[in-house]
Amino acid sequence: MKLSDLKPNQKGIVTEVVGNSEIKRRLLNMGVVRGVEIRMVRNAPLRDPIEFEVRGYLLSLRRDEAENVIVEVRG
Amino acid sequence: MRKVVALAGNPNVGKSVIFNALTGAKQKVGNWPGVTVEKKEGICKYKGIEFHIVDLPGIYGFTASSIDEKIARDFILQKPDVVVDIVDASNIERNLYLTMQLVEMEANIVVALNKMDLAKAKGYKINIRKLSKELGLPVIPMVAVKNEGIDDLKEAMYHVTKHGARTFLRYNDGVEEMISAVQERVIEHNLLPNYPPRFVAIKLLEGDEEILKMANFSEEVVKQWIS
Repeated sequence: MKLSDLKPNQKGIVTEVVGNSEIKRRLLNMGVVRGVEIRMVRNAPLRDPIEFEVRGYLLSLRRDEAENVIVEVRG
Repeated sequence: MRKVVALAGNPNVGKSVIFNALTGAKQKVGNWPGVTVEKKEGICKYKGIEFHIVDLPGIYGFTASSIDEKIARDFILQKPDVVVDIVDASNIERNLYLTMQLVEMEANIVVALNKMDLAKAKGYKINIRKLSKELGLPVIPMVAVKNEGIDDLKEAMYHVTKHGARTFLRYNDGVEEMISAVQERVIEHNLLPNYPPRFVAIKLLEGDEEILKMANFSEEVVKQWIS
């Protein structure tokens, strides 16, 4: 499932980050790598961007950025 | 004696507060050459040393994909005497990623662990001594907005100018093998001799466009080296 498909309060474990090297590195800089747990917090109006919680901080990603992150849903 | 100190860190870690606390009124604001990115410099005198403090743009990484990251990277690679790595203690995990990249750049690092009050409010208990030991670097807990830790930071800067503060980041055996294979070629070809060879090797393996361009090598050549 894509990170962008998580519902509010749903958690996922990152299994893969796809996309070009620039977006991958940007997500890496923000701590979004394989194995990390991410919680979807909420959508902005018009559902873009999306706010997530990762590694104890809040991270906002554009919907098309979040589509590059593949997660396995937890709980 | 004059020593150059760079302030590095993620955005919103309190870099400007620490810069102001160190330099007081002795500041100069200009631009980095050729770009409209603000460059703040100031002087901090401590124990007979004139620390020339340079405030780098707040960044999350050193990929040189944005102008801010490129400025910060170029400056760190010019080997300032000390790099003060300002880490937000309330967001320590993400912040330490930049620390790891500074280690790879073989900088002399002091970790200024700022916002200790916010970390405490979040329920974090940070064992400073253990963190310092794990990192192999001096770690100074701070609450810069309350002026806490500024004197300790100055003392740490002083200490590092005398004795240095470097550490080494070891990857798993497979990665280390590739790094040394590429590093041998880097040394053999005398690639980017002003930069640490291990750093150049790691960046070539990452496929860093800037370094590939500067070294005039393609990613395919690097792939051949490790095959």
